[in-house]
Amino acid sequence: MIKLIEKIEGEAKLNFHFKNNKIDKVDVDFMSTRHIEDILKGKSPLDALVINPRVCGICGHAHLIATVRALEDCYEKIEISNKAKIIRELTLNFELIQNHFKWFYLTIFPLFGLKQNVMKAVTPSQLMGKAIALFGGQYPHTSYAIVGGVVCEITQMDLIKLEHYIDETIGFFEKNLLDVDVQMLQDCDNVMNLLSKSGDLVDILNLIETNGWLEYGKSYDRFIVFGESSYFAKGKSIKTRVMHNLSLADVLESASTTSFAKSVHYHGKYYEVGPLARAMVKKTPLIKDAHRKYKDSMFTRILARVCEISQLLLHCKSLIAELDLSEPSYIKPKMEITSFNSSGSSAVEAARGTLIHKVVIEDSLIKSYEIITPTQWNLCGGVNENHGVSQKAMIGLENTEIAELVFKSFDVCSVCTTH
Amino acid sequence: MKKKVRILWLGLITCNGNTHSFLNYTHLEQFFNDFEFIYHPIIDSEYSLEDIISQDVACDILLIEGAIADDFIKADVLGIDIIKKYSNIVSKIVTVGTCATFGGIFKESHYKNVSGLHFREEKRTEKYNHLFEKTISISGCPIHPETLVSTLYAIKKGLDLKLDSYLRPKEYFAYTVHNGCTRNEYFEYKVDHHHFGELEGCMFYDHGCQGPLTHGSCNKILWNEINSKTRAGLPCMGCTEPSFPKQNLFSTKKNMGIPEFLPVGVNKRVYLTLAGITKAFKIDRLQKKLFDD
Repeated sequence: MIKLIEKIEGEAKLNFHFKNNKIDKVDVDFMSTRHIEDILKGKSPLDALVINPRVCGICGHAHLIATVRALEDCYEKIEISNKAKIIRELTLNFELIQNHFKWFYLTIFPLFGLKQNVMKAVTPSQLMGKAIALFGGQYPHTSYAIVGGVVCEITQMDLIKLEHYIDETIGFFEKNLLDVDVQMLQDCDNVMNLLSKSGDLVDILNLIETNGWLEYGKSYDRFIVFGESSYFAKGKSIKTRVMHNLSLADVLESASTTSFAKSVHYHGKYYEVGPLARAMVKKTPLIKDAHRKYKDSMFTRILARVCEISQLLLHCKSLIAELDLSEPSYIKPKMEITSFNSSGSSAVEAARGTLIHKVVIEDSLIKSYEIITPTQWNLCGGVNENHGVSQKAMIGLENTEIAELVFKSFDVCSVCTTH
Repeated sequence: MKKKVRILWLGLITCNGNTHSFLNYTHLEQFFNDFEFIYHPIIDSEYSLEDIISQDVACDILLIEGAIADDFIKADVLGIDIIKKYSNIVSKIVTVGTCATFGGIFKESHYKNVSGLHFREEKRTEKYNHLFEKTISISGCPIHPETLVSTLYAIKKGLDLKLDSYLRPKEYFAYTVHNGCTRNEYFEYKVDHHHFGELEGCMFYDHGCQGPLTHGSCNKILWNEINSKTRAGLPCMGCTEPSFPKQNLFSTKKNMGIPEFLPVGVNKRVYLTLAGITKAFKIDRLQKKLFDD
């Protein structure tokens, strides 16, 4: 049975195969692509800073940051001020936060029989958009992070506004999602304590329990994170065992014969990426506790994504406190990027997980550009009998409605997947 | 209950950037009192995409986001077939964004005859001539949400909108992006030493800013209500124009020291004369940091 999955920044098709009234296999098919990697070929390297945010309307900023880091990786040595690094990290975090709000209220809400809440999705997202625009001029589709730093200069007055945007978003979180002081939530290590509180997140988690869905959505219990930041740790977690030494060289893509999306594996194995992966590698107490009880089920996955909002908001506040405004925003690189042949790569944590960019520059132009998106890790069909992460999570479910919910618990983005 | 204007938002070869920019409109609640989407890429709607394709659903305005190609398939049907069907049903079509208007970034994708609805860059495509009178273009990568929403209200109210030759409302596209930029004085007095990462300086002379030659209201209505790319210190990339994206976007192409592309309506001779005069100025406050002691 083929089901068209809509409103996932595009569409995908799921082809369900049933055996004994249970889902036995699901083919995942993303039907179109836009050839971004080919469009980049032959362009001036810096133009990638303008083209790449247009990979995706909801996580384009992660593509900008991945681009600038891949270009800077082409240099043997390049100086970036601490101030510029912090600003880039802030705006990237703001994008993650707006994404999670939209996903929760636009995508997850209706799947639980609740009315999609556009206003609750856009109110905090608009605040986070303002926070990015304060530095980048606009959101979406700024190119404000350039090789050598960021284009903007900021003042103490800007920071006052910025803190208002953040505090208002925290207030929104506490008022609507979870009626717990975010600072206390940071220290909470027992998910049961949350279920007696009020808020839209609590309602969803309780619905999972009352509907008897606590076991649903489990996959390989293998997680990977490549994008390091002052908040996220790089590493992989296999059944709660965490290892931190990973090599980007071991990440490989395989083309599919049926779908435009290429599957991605590390040492031949599929890994889940995204907020749950980040929490498992970072060992966030609350998510570890949920994982202890419900493993890598959709319950834990949804909880991890929503709680990342409050964690990042608090972390952004501490980052602002570290900013030294007397540092330069931009340090002109000693050499133009077009003056030497080189290659570079980067990994950043986008809303949906690890995003990898690889560039080769030859004769002043982009010779090749490769983009591996988070949704490729999570949502691509496996090769032969080796199921992909989301495919595995849907096996054994009774019907296609609940399978769609499990599929969307990974936060699907069609445009990114096929780019 | 009052009758709402019904909109079909159709996404083709797109990144969905316009969809998300639209969500930044600050009075969405008001908007939803007056309009409803029969289909939208992420907002829930009465009909599914499959319904839209299999039925003829009543609709007033067709919004097209993304570039259009002869062979681009959406949910098993040709995108152009969906356009054909609904362009007959609706009374107005709005191309949302630079891809849908001029082809934009994705005119370079490998599909057949990729373009905007009526233009491939500056050139008219003849194919949809019969829809020309029905169409309004809102270019921009992405669109500014206010530009789109106010245009939809103008359609609703039956206003006689003045359009430019690319069918863009003059209300928003008669201005250049340069209008209202906080760095204007550095441009006007030709203070040509801009460094990235500073509040001072103009990006036109060295860093590829296309603000003076790009039509748009970025510095009049601002982005996210607070800022613009050029105010922040990022060159205007000319994203509302047919030529977007040009090449070498972070540097100004010059011939014998004169920028190849001059402000709208300014010829080289006049520009040189003006540049000579402004060079005679030595305006101390524009040579220094803004917040110097």
